[in-house]
Amino acid sequence: MIEAQGLTKVYGDKTAVDSVNFTVQAGRVTGFLGPNGAGKSTTMRMIMGLDRPTAGTVTVNGEPFARHAAPLREIGALLDAKAVHTGRSAYNHLLAMAATHSIPKKRVREVIEITGLADVANKKVKGFSLGMGQRLGIAAALLGDPQTIILDEPVNGLDPEGVVWVRTMVRYLASEGRTVFLSSHLMSEMALTADHLIVIGRGRIIADAPIKDIINGKGQSRTRVRTDQPDRLMNALAGDGVSAELQDRELLEVKGTDPRRIAQTALEHQVLIYELTPLQASLEEAYMELTKDAVEYHSLTTTGAPVPAQPGGK
Amino acid sequence: MSTATFTQPGGAGTNPASPSREAGPSFPRVLNSEFIKFRTLLSTLILLASTAVVMVGFGALSAWGTGSFADAASSDPQAAEAMAAQGGDLAVTVPTSGIGFAQLILGSLGVLLMSSEFTTGMARSTFAAVPKRIPAFLAKLVVILVSTFLLTAASTYIAGLVAVPILDNYGLKLDLASSQSVKLLLVSSLYVAAVAAIGMALGTLIRNSAGGIMSLVGLFFVAPIAFQLIPGDFFEEARKYLPGNTINPMTAVEHVPETLEAWQAALVLGAWVVVPVVLAMVLLKTRDV
Repeated sequence: MIEAQGLTKVYGDKTAVDSVNFTVQAGRVTGFLGPNGAGKSTTMRMIMGLDRPTAGTVTVNGEPFARHAAPLREIGALLDAKAVHTGRSAYNHLLAMAATHSIPKKRVREVIEITGLADVANKKVKGFSLGMGQRLGIAAALLGDPQTIILDEPVNGLDPEGVVWVRTMVRYLASEGRTVFLSSHLMSEMALTADHLIVIGRGRIIADAPIKDIINGKGQSRTRVRTDQPDRLMNALAGDGVSAELQDRELLEVKGTDPRRIAQTALEHQVLIYELTPLQASLEEAYMELTKDAVEYHSLTTTGAPVPAQPGGK
Repeated sequence: MSTATFTQPGGAGTNPASPSREAGPSFPRVLNSEFIKFRTLLSTLILLASTAVVMVGFGALSAWGTGSFADAASSDPQAAEAMAAQGGDLAVTVPTSGIGFAQLILGSLGVLLMSSEFTTGMARSTFAAVPKRIPAFLAKLVVILVSTFLLTAASTYIAGLVAVPILDNYGLKLDLASSQSVKLLLVSSLYVAAVAAIGMALGTLIRNSAGGIMSLVGLFFVAPIAFQLIPGDFFEEARKYLPGNTINPMTAVEHVPETLEAWQAALVLGAWVVVPVVLAMVLLKTRDV
């Protein structure tokens, strides 16, 4: 379990993390989502005792990280795939890390196996692709068989197979009752991996809730309706929090009600409808909605067009 | 390739009942880790090997040069005078004639040992494993002190072994077991280890390889010359207290007037090691990694 209380980090005149409070529970995957520069990595470095908080505290299993007698056995972290001397081989890197906690060579070989690095374990890290670097970072995080695992952008640079592998791994680790805390700016990845989501923007927590609540709560459900009498249907639907917008000559987008009630209304008013598509808010949209005021670096174009809900999707 | 591993129980190697479950970063373990890191970098091994080659090579060259000089001295009264002014026994300093290069290379190794942690990002792994940080620093310090001392001592001895037959050709005697030979070997090796420790402290403070090495070069090679060129008694006096100028008083057979006594020079060098090392530890503990 990770607990942050009033956690603050100020660099010069910039507040990277602004008095945040959150708890990461064991037994589930907690996603830490936020735009670039939102304070995700800074928060994770403070958890690992690498950066000193300007104010507030963060504890891992009840104690600040540095106070634990065997820190690597308590919490394992991938903070940066490049936290390795590139002149050393993957095996020797892990061996040196393991030596600090008397972790046997057998375990070093085990994490190399688990992360699929066996073929390159004796090669210098210099030649590693970003994905191999990520795997090595994850191997290092798993070395001490820790109860709590922190992964900063673990799927960054991984090929599709690697992405699936990370997803399977973190789900498995959480199912064993471990605390898994992973950050990403890829909301789609979070939708597939995380059970719980902490959303951060400009150093503040914007949302802290189960992932389903975030999707349902923030992204309003919409329905796309095609009809040859859009005006008549709009009038019939109007009122009681329902709003409809004419998007094309015979195309409506209706908010605030569900497809069944739209069909019912159409039937009652004898309006023919020939398309009725529920548009589920994607996590992307929910996320954009949540962070629209908290994005550090705005781009000129915006995304977030509604996508048709997929059967079996979230 | 390993997706299946996580669907099998024990795939992550869970074994909470293992007896070493609580084994944390004790000093011997951190020392072992730092030694593994030290010996598994090719760049470290190249610097160590270069030092040995330079020390032995300069020993041989110096033996040849000293022999030629002694030959010339026997037929040239001027050269004989010059030799007498040097204290008579030139042969004894032959094995340590490469020490100036050894201190530059091994001092740079000291800088790199710590600066590379920060430039590569390895520091995040190192200090996540040893969050108290100071044990990792001290372990590195022990590794660099011991390795540079042993390497310098061994290289000096081998340089001596190579020099003896060359000097013999010119009729000069070098006794490697003489008290002055042993003293030169030990003091020079300690001196080089001290320079490497200063380098490591600079690497910790500056966190940049080029910056650290240039500071070291500035302190040991530029400052002595600059202090000599700047007129005024202050710089003349201060020059004696530069770390690079402590080696001669410490190895002199007899005290040379206008220089520090051997014990004073040793104290000055000690201060040059302790002050940056303590400062480095304080800042390492308080700064963000």
